Amino acid sequence: MSDLANIPWNLILPIIVLQLILMVVALVDVIRHQRTNGPFIMWIFIILLGGIIGSIVYFIFGRRQE
Amino acid sequence: MTHLLQVNDLSKIYGSHRVADSISFELEAGTSTALIGPNGAGKTTTLSMLAGLVTPTNGSILFRGQSKPDIRGSIGYLPQYPKFFPWLTALEFTEMAAVLSGVEKTQALTEAKKTLEFVGLGDAMKKRTGTFSGGMKQRLGLAQAIVHGPELLLLDEPVSALDPVGRRQVMNLLKELQQKTTILYSTHILNDAEEMTDQLLFLRKGVLVENGSLETIREKYANPRILIEFESIAEAERFAAISPWAVEKVKKHVSIDALQEGVGTPEVVSLLHTESLPIRKVELQTASLEEIFMKVVVEE
Amino acid sequence: MSSLNTLLRKEWRENIRNFKLYWIPIVFVIFGVLEPITNHFLPEIMKSVGNLPEGADFLWPELRGEDIFVSLMSQYQTIGILVIILAFMGSISGERKSGTATLLYVRPMSFGQYFLSKWISVNAIVLASVWLGFFAAWYYIRILFNSVGAGEVFTFLGTYSLWVVFAVTVVLAFSAWLSTGGAAGLSILVLLVFQIIDGVVGIYWTVTPWKLSTYAASAFGSSADQAAYWMSIGLTAALIILLVLFGMYMAKRNAAKTLV
Repeated sequence: MSDLANIPWNLILPIIVLQLILMVVALVDVIRHQRTNGPFIMWIFIILLGGIIGSIVYFIFGRRQE
Repeated sequence: MTHLLQVNDLSKIYGSHRVADSISFELEAGTSTALIGPNGAGKTTTLSMLAGLVTPTNGSILFRGQSKPDIRGSIGYLPQYPKFFPWLTALEFTEMAAVLSGVEKTQALTEAKKTLEFVGLGDAMKKRTGTFSGGMKQRLGLAQAIVHGPELLLLDEPVSALDPVGRRQVMNLLKELQQKTTILYSTHILNDAEEMTDQLLFLRKGVLVENGSLETIREKYANPRILIEFESIAEAERFAAISPWAVEKVKKHVSIDALQEGVGTPEVVSLLHTESLPIRKVELQTASLEEIFMKVVVEE
Repeated sequence: MSSLNTLLRKEWRENIRNFKLYWIPIVFVIFGVLEPITNHFLPEIMKSVGNLPEGADFLWPELRGEDIFVSLMSQYQTIGILVIILAFMGSISGERKSGTATLLYVRPMSFGQYFLSKWISVNAIVLASVWLGFFAAWYYIRILFNSVGAGEVFTFLGTYSLWVVFAVTVVLAFSAWLSTGGAAGLSILVLLVFQIIDGVVGIYWTVTPWKLSTYAASAFGSSADQAAYWMSIGLTAALIILLVLFGMYMAKRNAAKTLV
């Protein structure tokens, strides 16, 4: 447990916040749009479990206009 | 007098396929012209060339007697399936269209609002076009085509994709626009053409096969017949026997080709009178536009 | 001029409403923050999770803050460039394919301004993302490593930015020329594969856009041939101008391919 205390959370926190913002933006977009390439439930899982990459992949490949 | 638009020998060849083949016609200012033909006759290609989207392989387009390189500012164009940036609202799109077509920036927003009210999208102008139905898109398409007050409106199948209610609404808008501007529109629905047309252009396989007013084309292809319906078959047979003209008889009906020597409604009616034959109906039939359409662009 | 403004406003609205204005900078900043952190803590992480044999003590290279800038840049050179290609490959070809371009092309607008509106807005987003990413890294580098002088950082960023503009111009010009798939493929070839080729056999030439990233890194002290550096900058600038003109020409030539 002492390892956990050594982690400089104040340095890592911004990354977590940014990643959360990215995820929330992607999720809001999926749920509001519900128009994706492929089943949109799948994209929700990709965004939730895929971390940064999941959200990026959604914005590039999952998002569909119209 | 110079024509508003004069098209000479316009051709578009893709490979060995002549989509438009030496098309020539004129449009007069203030008239409405219907471009008629079945699918694949070259209607869309012809309109695209006039709109400046497709470069003709051959031929010239004169606008007010001049061959200007870019007449896009004087034209409003509505494609058959207009596509809009789904993230823009109807008002944002129409305003952008107005500015790009040369409307003063200070005027563009006012003009856009006015035009959207005119096409009946007043309540939806702040909505994103991605949420629009087919009928709303068609009306927005019309709005973007007229927002800059073009001298010539090019409409590709403006009402074909609409349901009867939407069609009526758009037709009524077009009839109002007819008072203000010159319209060239393509259609394969002949009722529409009959409703608002000064000139008809018939296209078949890229060739302009007939060009004239509704009346002249009617007259040319009318093929008038006098149709009599009798009370019974016996009377029809008796009439056929004594008739001095060639007739066709089907049960209680007799039809006479009205182009024969000496045939006319008075002669037919007086014969019926002297023979005192009881009838149900006498009528003079002319070919419908649909029959003309079949004859001009489909048959052969 | 007012058409260019109108087209720029359209691009601006598009990039806000499809979230590119937000997610692309966030992605670059995340990479910018991660790079110094992982490099700083990598020895400790390896020690705690790695099943290193007892007594094995690796000698980690002593990293300076300057090295972190360079290693972040090599992240951007692969993942960053790939994100730029994938995000903007359809900028022009996509509008043709969907037919949304039709109602622009039938208006008396210039295809030069049309292309420029894309070029300006995409460059603005990408450059802002890259700079924000490096600024975030700079902040972390000062905390975790050493402070790096502003002069060096801005010389580095200036040179690297020219390569970024080149990359954006390549993607947009290809999008004007080809279909979206073709634009992606050729952009990957020109921006990613050529980088590798230049890295392997590039010792025979010194003046090329693909060496700009190496020259940018020389801002941090390693010596570089000044003549080759400035000639590469000149060549890249010239190629950018040519590609912009090519893109404008291709956007016009392909206008008829828009879906009607």
